[in-house]
Amino acid sequence: MISKNFELVVPFYEVQDPAGNSIYIPLVQAILMTPQNSRFQLSLIFDTGANVTTLRADLYPLLGLASWDVGQRRDTSTAGGPSVAYQYQGTLEVFGKTINCPIHLMQMALHPLVHGLLGRDTVYREFGFGFWECKNELYVTLNPLVSTP
Amino acid sequence: MTFPETLERTEPSLSTITAARTPEEILDTLDRFGIEWFISEEGTLSIKYWQVVADKFIPLEQVAIIKQRMPATCVQENELEWLSENLDSLKEEYAGKWIAICKNRVAAFATNLPELLNLTRECDKPFITQIPAGPVVWTFTYDLQKL
Repeated sequence: MISKNFELVVPFYEVQDPAGNSIYIPLVQAILMTPQNSRFQLSLIFDTGANVTTLRADLYPLLGLASWDVGQRRDTSTAGGPSVAYQYQGTLEVFGKTINCPIHLMQMALHPLVHGLLGRDTVYREFGFGFWECKNELYVTLNPLVSTP
Repeated sequence: MTFPETLERTEPSLSTITAARTPEEILDTLDRFGIEWFISEEGTLSIKYWQVVADKFIPLEQVAIIKQRMPATCVQENELEWLSENLDSLKEEYAGKWIAICKNRVAAFATNLPELLNLTRECDKPFITQIPAGPVVWTFTYDLQKL
């Protein structure tokens, strides 16, 4: 049987909704490696509803692009309705693991704490997650296939 | 001002430090690199630096776990947490600007991202973000849709 123990705790972050109420968001910190071998910290919403890791369109210079919409067009469904994304390939460091994965650029709302969404494709299989809404904490294991002795 | 030869031999990228003209500029540059420094009573500058002693010492899958055991003084600053805690004051100073946070301080700011990237070439893993010109409110659909 696979062990369900977790080694890391990721606290949720408090933000204010338009009515001034506090809401708590699971933000995962990742490092984006650029084509020029520079590294930048990203803060991504842990979003199991996102198939692909998605960054705000105006961050395209971090991917070494001249514009956000030069990649492969993808028509996507989001919580806010249909949307257009452009797909690229990028390298992220997440919880200490280096992962080459697809990255979408998409027009998204601006909030200074958030660069985009941490999506499932390629990334989630590297980890195991425990989502504790009532504690405002996300639990993570880096060894999702370790069996219980 | 002369630097001992060992300073340049220790880490080639430090040679840029010697391009600074005044002691204050040099100390600022050291801060920007995240290099701890010490000035003796006689005015001598010393710096603390890391020496690599074993590549791949820890298996990659264990790195994050082992790093949790590092002493607090060795743990990297959490720029996201710092940004979250200082958002109100940053909003007053940098509304509408792109900023780069490094070692829990604003290392650079600019009116657009390409310009900011040019200013942050010497920062290690800066947290880059844009401070909205308007109110900072959560307008993502995430958590705003009620069941």
